[in-house]
Amino acid sequence: MASAATGAPLAAPPAAPLELDGVSFAYGRSKVLSDVSLRVAQGEFVAVVGSNGSGKTTLMKLGLGLLPAGSGHVRLFGEELSSFRAWWQVGYVPQRATASSTIPVSVEEVVVSGLAARTRLIRRRSPGEAARIDHVVELLGLEGLRRSRLSELSGGQQQRALIARALVTGPKLLVLDEPTTGVDAEARSVLRKSLQHLVEVEGMAVVYVSHDPEGFSGLAQRVVEVVGGRTPVDSGRSSLREVATG
Amino acid sequence: MNPFEFEFMQRAFVACAVIAAVAPLVGSFIVQRGQSLVGDGMGHVAFAGVGLAFLVGADPVLGALACTVLAGLLLVRMGRAGLAGDLAIALIFYGGIAVGYLFASRAQAGQSRLVGLLFGSPLNLTWPEVGVIVGLALAVVAVVVALYPRLVAMAFDEEAARVAGVPTDRMVLALTVMVAMVVVGGMSSIGLLLISAMMVVPVAAAAQLASSYRGALVLASAIGGASAVVGLLVAHYRDYAPGSAIVLVAIACYLAATAWRGVTRRALA
Repeated sequence: MASAATGAPLAAPPAAPLELDGVSFAYGRSKVLSDVSLRVAQGEFVAVVGSNGSGKTTLMKLGLGLLPAGSGHVRLFGEELSSFRAWWQVGYVPQRATASSTIPVSVEEVVVSGLAARTRLIRRRSPGEAARIDHVVELLGLEGLRRSRLSELSGGQQQRALIARALVTGPKLLVLDEPTTGVDAEARSVLRKSLQHLVEVEGMAVVYVSHDPEGFSGLAQRVVEVVGGRTPVDSGRSSLREVATG
Repeated sequence: MNPFEFEFMQRAFVACAVIAAVAPLVGSFIVQRGQSLVGDGMGHVAFAGVGLAFLVGADPVLGALACTVLAGLLLVRMGRAGLAGDLAIALIFYGGIAVGYLFASRAQAGQSRLVGLLFGSPLNLTWPEVGVIVGLALAVVAVVVALYPRLVAMAFDEEAARVAGVPTDRMVLALTVMVAMVVVGGMSSIGLLLISAMMVVPVAAAAQLASSYRGALVLASAIGGASAVVGLLVAHYRDYAPGSAIVLVAIACYLAATAWRGVTRRALA
């Protein structure tokens, strides 16, 4: 293919960080999602909303390979999920009220655990990795809490530590599932500023799953609503509906 | 009478201290994953291997190791298939101890020998048996050191670890095999029914005092090893059962750590 004006070859458009194409999923005989498609482009902030049980979290778990899709295709950065290996490009913050840990774990250990897949035996942390750790700790306002026990922090501070863990590999796609659950106003403000920086400065694609629009209003370029939820096996169908951004 | 002068006591100290110091390293990951009773269940399964070994005239350690590793693999496969429910696991574990005793009674293994395996008989160990225990413990330490970052990531948050690229299925398998190795290593020293306590109790004690995962692991290992030494000394001077004394010392450490944490918290409040 060539440009009509210059005759120069056209560069292929960058692969979408996340693409679900005609995906269906059921828990046993209970259909949750049926023929759902969603594409998130590089540098795009997409909010996924919907009522409780509508299938928002299931949709994201399908997109990240945590649940097997019954049908359809899931691609990360243009690659089928089954062959995708560059997981460092993906950051994920699961849904949770607080970070529970029976054994004490420090904020720094939580953040560094994000690098576990890239850690090799008897290999010191590279200067690049150390700098990245410092960067995300600073970005999320955790400088003074590095050695603190995670379980003794507030819900907002815990959530920021989990987001820092997701960011420590320098991902190009960040998926957050209900990130403001149990988080105070100050932490929400820090989170908003951090997300704004990630999208505008670092060009990251962000998928923000939430039933609460306060967390993403003014940030989301697209809002997608999951409609239908858990529906009867015979007639049920979930679908995605674009909603005007705030 | 100095207990360290006797060679049988030296063997007991080495075997018990080594396995009790290594058990919490593995235990920390199963405790964090909410599977504190897995070690206990593996002890039941190991007993089936011991019974089978008695029946066919094989080495009980090999029988126990084969059975626990096989059971571990089965549990991992059942977990992947969504079949590792509470009832299915209970059937495997209780089936293990029932089959073990059936085999052992058919083989006419002596009651004292069986009781020694269930509750430990460290004073009867030979140096080659101590060597096997130390070998198993060193292998476990090597695996923990090699996989430490991935095991921590998985234990803390399995879904996030999977998305980060950690091969969590393989980590679960490695962890299960390590549990089997610790159970077998602790079989003749602390006992099949008591070694699982050494995977859990020192970890619970260390969790009261440490502020990091790494710190908790080191402290738990120290508490485990120290409990073994103190427990054996108590058993020697008071003529108590060694395995029971070791576990009770570890539980005393947990109670002391909990009390200490309560006191320091009140002082800081």
